[in-house]
Amino acid sequence: MDSVTSFLSTIVENADKPNEGNAPSSATHAPRAQSVSAHDFPLMPVGEAYDMGHAPDGTPLIDPRIFNSAEFYRNPYPYYKIMRDHYPVFFDKLHNCYYVTRYDDITTCYFDDEGFNTIPKGSSSGVLGNTQLELSGVEHRRRRNLYGQHLVGKSLDNRMHAIESIAEEMIADWDNLDESVVQDRNGVRSVAIGKAFANEFPIRVVCDVLGFPKESRKNFFYWYNSMMSGLGGSETHHQGLEARQDLEDYVGTLVEERRAHPTYLYDAAGNPIGKDIISKLCETQIDGDYLSTEEITSNIALVVGGGGETTRGAILNMWYLLLQHPQQLEAVLEDPEAMWDVAFHETLRHSTPIGGQPRHNSFDIELHGVKIPAGSLVNMVDFSANHDDRIFNDPEAFNIFRPDLYSGKLLRSGFRKEGKCSHMAFGVGPHLCPGAWISHQEAVIGSKILQRHLKNPRLNVDKMPKDFDGSLMPIGLISAKEVWIDYDLE
Amino acid sequence: MSTDEKQAVRPPSYGAGAPDKDAFTGRNGVPLYTRNGNQNDYRTYEVYQRERVKEATDKIRPIQLISPEFIKDPYPVLEILRENYPFYRDWLGNSFWVTRYDDVTSIFTDDANFETRPKRWFYGIEDLGRDLGQEVPVLTAQAARIDANVARIAAEIVDGFRANGGADLAIDFAARLPLELLACVLDLPKEDFPTFVDRYWRMQRGAMWEPKSRQAGLGAIQELVEYFRPILAARRARPGDDLLSAIAGLDLEDGPATAEDVVVTLLEQDHETLHGGIANMWLQLMTHPEQLDLVKRERRMVKFAWLETLRHSTPVVTANRFSRHEVERFGRLIPIGALLHCSAAAANRDPRQYKEPDRFIVGRKDLCQREPRGQYRADGLPAGLAFGLGKPTRHPAVPEDRPRSLYALCRDTATTASNVLLEALPDLRLKPGATPALRSLRLGEMHTCWHLPVVF
Repeated sequence: MDSVTSFLSTIVENADKPNEGNAPSSATHAPRAQSVSAHDFPLMPVGEAYDMGHAPDGTPLIDPRIFNSAEFYRNPYPYYKIMRDHYPVFFDKLHNCYYVTRYDDITTCYFDDEGFNTIPKGSSSGVLGNTQLELSGVEHRRRRNLYGQHLVGKSLDNRMHAIESIAEEMIADWDNLDESVVQDRNGVRSVAIGKAFANEFPIRVVCDVLGFPKESRKNFFYWYNSMMSGLGGSETHHQGLEARQDLEDYVGTLVEERRAHPTYLYDAAGNPIGKDIISKLCETQIDGDYLSTEEITSNIALVVGGGGETTRGAILNMWYLLLQHPQQLEAVLEDPEAMWDVAFHETLRHSTPIGGQPRHNSFDIELHGVKIPAGSLVNMVDFSANHDDRIFNDPEAFNIFRPDLYSGKLLRSGFRKEGKCSHMAFGVGPHLCPGAWISHQEAVIGSKILQRHLKNPRLNVDKMPKDFDGSLMPIGLISAKEVWIDYDLE
Repeated sequence: MSTDEKQAVRPPSYGAGAPDKDAFTGRNGVPLYTRNGNQNDYRTYEVYQRERVKEATDKIRPIQLISPEFIKDPYPVLEILRENYPFYRDWLGNSFWVTRYDDVTSIFTDDANFETRPKRWFYGIEDLGRDLGQEVPVLTAQAARIDANVARIAAEIVDGFRANGGADLAIDFAARLPLELLACVLDLPKEDFPTFVDRYWRMQRGAMWEPKSRQAGLGAIQELVEYFRPILAARRARPGDDLLSAIAGLDLEDGPATAEDVVVTLLEQDHETLHGGIANMWLQLMTHPEQLDLVKRERRMVKFAWLETLRHSTPVVTANRFSRHEVERFGRLIPIGALLHCSAAAANRDPRQYKEPDRFIVGRKDLCQREPRGQYRADGLPAGLAFGLGKPTRHPAVPEDRPRSLYALCRDTATTASNVLLEALPDLRLKPGATPALRSLRLGEMHTCWHLPVVF
């Protein structure tokens, strides 16, 4: 009978021990980063998954706590590979949601906008407001086109010179920046490309495109930062709400002005080429009625939110990856007109700043044998689709020359052309990112201009954040934290 | 693309006459998934996602609800929820938290709009067998065997450690008693007991989110089925007065009971409230000597100590309910299939119901002192929510030959066993220097005392 007592005692004692379901072991890989989550997994070499156990038939198991761990944030792809190969639809009971991870499944679901509805209203919890992110069908298309039309085609071409001059202006300002951003030593300049350029550049462009007065730029950073870090459920949510209120107040007065006196964008020669987005929205009608200030604010909040972090990540990741692959960098620098576009697309495939989109299924469905009751939260993991080896050969490699990635003009209504698949960074289908085209232009134009100023660019490895084993920090989810570039001053 | 081709790619419309099974094809023309709902299920999911604008829940972060601190002591975090966000939207866990007494009980009495999903659902083995735990012969056999044996078994357990001069009441007594009782109710051979315990625990612990335990649990279920198959056949041939014989003798509509039914019945019941309740009651009595004296003086107070324990330190912290359809509650639209964590631990410490809710007071006047039988306000007083989180009994209290509910059975079992302990060891007291505490072993598991060293 003592065996029962000892059995019970073992269960209790093992509760705090590694691998017994409470805290996974850190013994195998001793140095670990500072804890960012409630549940720590040991840091693994990049590309290698932590062993979370196996089913009797050998299928690797996924412990859902991994999604909250620091390990996952810096090294997500091997875990997504397990999910793609063994659980194309993974039911995470801890977070009560489903993950869809294969390219084909995700594209199909994205196109089925009756069967899958978009993000829940509350996920932006009053911060972004009532936007077309949360609508479907005709209602969605109508709202999206309100401002989406100003971000593509001829309207976009008209804005090119403005984007270029913003970039030039920012780089010219480097001489005035302090030591924490720009350092000159022996004819070599080290620049933190994030702080000195990538962080602000997209926001300034958005500010300009929207038609915000220059003096509002400082507030703009406040709105942007607070609202983006204050989305639903976060610690800083109340700051996000305050910022939203502040933006609403500001836009309210702005809109009243613009309704009476619209403002214009100008071309290089100083001729007006069209109204800015706020002025356009002011005169836009739906169902014979002008847009309310609240609607305009929500649309602006969405552009504010969508236009910053993503493009920033694309620029940083692109430079970070290219600088780590000098042959590819060389190819890009030799033929900038053609190759920056290609590098942009491969960057977004390899390291996307946007992880994916949540959806809710309208019906009970069965996908890969998993029953998903109507109304479930289904996460479409774009990260994983981009690394799906059913689509892209050797997906973990950064290779701008890869033949299986479509990298021509962005496809408005598909993901497949010339036998190649596009990356999923902008999503596909009806909710394809309306800022995709302008974001592409920002990243490419910005990089071309950077290229003109950076002679012989290389990474300043000493200043870069390091991984636990001393190598360069992998990008992981989202984007590189900071990229320091050295270049020769003449 | 012609109209016909479009039809081939797009799913048929959901108007009248649309088929309710609808294959949706992927890129290669291979059916990727089927829609099983019918057209009436269609909902755009726009309305019910609308949240309260300007509501900021900045006093809490959702990660706190799965943190190690929460596993050890959920009460501080639950208090924040109860006092600030009584119906909390947990973005991380994609769920809602209900924490006030009236709110929790309202969700539990509302079977029209909410459902409790069986453990089989969490295991994904809904089709394995039938839960026969509510059949009258089964309940009767269970109650009869427990009543006949609980005093003897408790005395045997106490005799096992009496000579040692000290014991760990949590492991040696509280954890052991429900298992021994279960083995007795099933009338299992003594030599099978350790294996049975191992399999039973694996099975009970596996129905959660943790993938390794789930694998172990599925294995245990398979082993138990194989184990019970010959025993059930033997009992059918030569019935006794035990639970297995009662199950074997059931006259069921869809065929006689199988070994799978036995295992499912065992899975859906559990030992947690009895085990955790006894351990927690003795922890409270050991750490509140004045309450212990009261109980020693007046033995009828043991029952009230038990009831107060279920209120003050319920072993079942939360229970999950799922909305059966779109429904508005607490000023919010809850979507179909939403997960609601109904927290007994928070509700039981609700100052709207109990004076000084954090104090352990045996015989408190604002606590219902009867078996609540699935109601929450017999005598107009609230009862501690612990059992109320499970399925209320299907059988009314009258006529008198109806089996007692599991709440009553559990209460009587715990009371009898504790009386045995008090008789046998009159000067029972906490081991000097010991600091016993409550904790869960794992997120979502029972919150109880795992080490209670005593001397006598």
